Amino acid sequence: MDDNERTSRFNRLAVEYSRFYKGKIRTFPNVPITSIKDFSYWYTPGVAEVSRVINKDPDESFNLTGRWNSVGIVTDGTRVLGIGNVGPEAAMPVMEGKAMLFNLLGGVNAIPLPLRVSTGDEFINVVKALEPSFGGFNLEDIESPKCFFVLRDLQQQLNVPAWHDDQLGTACIILAGLINSMRITGRRIEDSTVALVGSGAANIAAANLMLEAGFKAGNIIMVDSHGIIHPEREDLDKMMISNPWKYDLALKTNAERRKGDIGDAMKGTDIVVSASKSQPGVIKGEWVRLMNKDPVIFALANPLPEIWPEDAIENGAAIVATGRSDFPNQINNSLVFPGIFRGVLDARSKGVNFGIMVKASYEIANFVSSPEPAKIVPSMDDWELYPQVASAVARATVDQGLARKIDSREGFLKTAREIITTNREAIEKNMNLGLIRRLPEVNL
Amino acid sequence: MKKEQIIVRTAEEKDIDEFITLIMRMKRLNGEFDSMFKANDDNIDAIRNYYLNCIKDKVNFITFVAISGNRIAGLVKSEIRNRVSYYPPQELRIVDLYIMPEFRRKKIGNLLLNAIYEEMRKRKISIITAEFPSLNMIALNFYKKIGYREITSVYGKFIDDNKE
Repeated sequence: MDDNERTSRFNRLAVEYSRFYKGKIRTFPNVPITSIKDFSYWYTPGVAEVSRVINKDPDESFNLTGRWNSVGIVTDGTRVLGIGNVGPEAAMPVMEGKAMLFNLLGGVNAIPLPLRVSTGDEFINVVKALEPSFGGFNLEDIESPKCFFVLRDLQQQLNVPAWHDDQLGTACIILAGLINSMRITGRRIEDSTVALVGSGAANIAAANLMLEAGFKAGNIIMVDSHGIIHPEREDLDKMMISNPWKYDLALKTNAERRKGDIGDAMKGTDIVVSASKSQPGVIKGEWVRLMNKDPVIFALANPLPEIWPEDAIENGAAIVATGRSDFPNQINNSLVFPGIFRGVLDARSKGVNFGIMVKASYEIANFVSSPEPAKIVPSMDDWELYPQVASAVARATVDQGLARKIDSREGFLKTAREIITTNREAIEKNMNLGLIRRLPEVNL
Repeated sequence: MKKEQIIVRTAEEKDIDEFITLIMRMKRLNGEFDSMFKANDDNIDAIRNYYLNCIKDKVNFITFVAISGNRIAGLVKSEIRNRVSYYPPQELRIVDLYIMPEFRRKKIGNLLLNAIYEEMRKRKISIITAEFPSLNMIALNFYKKIGYREITSVYGKFIDDNKE
């Protein structure tokens, strides 16, 4: 079966299974209910006293309700996967899938919330209005540059963490992969030169996280659809207003003021991180040969990487990573967000930032005990990864004064491990009992 | 990036080619904000002559450039306008103010304006005004930040579909 046939088969199965299960997640009571008498404390009259306690101190909502473990997955459906602006209803299956991963890998109760909103401000106002119900928000599949404005304003205005996975999750796992790539190839962060191909949400966030991690701004060259970004480019004038994040990077990166195309950007650099057009050939093998010895290539476009891994290796790449699971070194957000959210929720954190993300990236990199060219990041079934990341993140929020709940690294690790393990066992038990039904037979 | 000292001086005829490069960047940016300000790149010789005259005519125009190394980092061109019905009888109108992106946020705009204010005091002109496309948010934010307020409005429209 070739790639196209396999993809087509998965597509048809996805629709048939979705029709059968009618939703990938559901809510379920968390308390024992054996008789109608139980309602007197779970509901009226007793529940009014719980409301009064929270009314006196709204932070008690983290202790007396499920808010502590609840995350809103919010989207406007304007940039869903590779299919674009499909609207909020059509974004729901993707958000449900994300909620499922949140639950399975992080033990988080995540609620999909596709919104019918027309502007960034409207989006922000809705999320702010939802704040009392959640311990954090995961923003998903929002078009660029709107996603930057929305994330910035929500991070400034909310008292719970706001995370945009397409930016921050991707940046975190890219940095984790780079940390191990540099360990393998004997490079130091402060000396390494990097070409970032594609200047959308993921690479802009990656650039900023790399700066936080110690890369030198002048050693980074960014490329977009018009070529290498440098301060004299005429479109910078408009960019100052339309995309100030990209503008800021344009001014501080590319110290040597290099101009040209992707090939020019790659010449003499150590690392290429490409989050660009899904088309092999965007990065040419001959350009890989122009890079420094033992170059590192991250070709992250999905479904087709910008250069096939074997092509990159034939042309001298020491390490190649892609966004795909069928090649070694999958750069996958799912290695990041479950642990990040488990951590910020366990610490009842008021926010998340680049400093915390760098810690998470190191934790993910360190999880790979012996990094090799074909193993620079963990895989999704490394179950212990998530509590390890969670405890590092939780502790970092304490150190930064963002946590409402203080604990040691070990204490947070125990909590995260228990929540994630118990939750996964509950899912397995439900499957074994048939409460989660087996996959139906589908005739394709 | 190493820090170069910024020197503000009166624009000179020798500056004209680089001066025009910056002017046209600004005009094209205005066109990005509003199609009524589509830059006329085909008319570059006339534009060059016009600005050369502005630089030469020190009576009716005040032009300064900010120099970093051997490059023009920013410029301002202003013109003296008579106010026959109002008092005081003259104002200085800034028509062009542009800073290259990599030199922004370094107070070069303020340096250029300070040079302008100094010249105004010498000529006993007390009112300064600035004109720019209403949709040019960069200019709007800049002038608001340094205490300018909206004092007049100019409205416009194309009267048919032929925008040329």
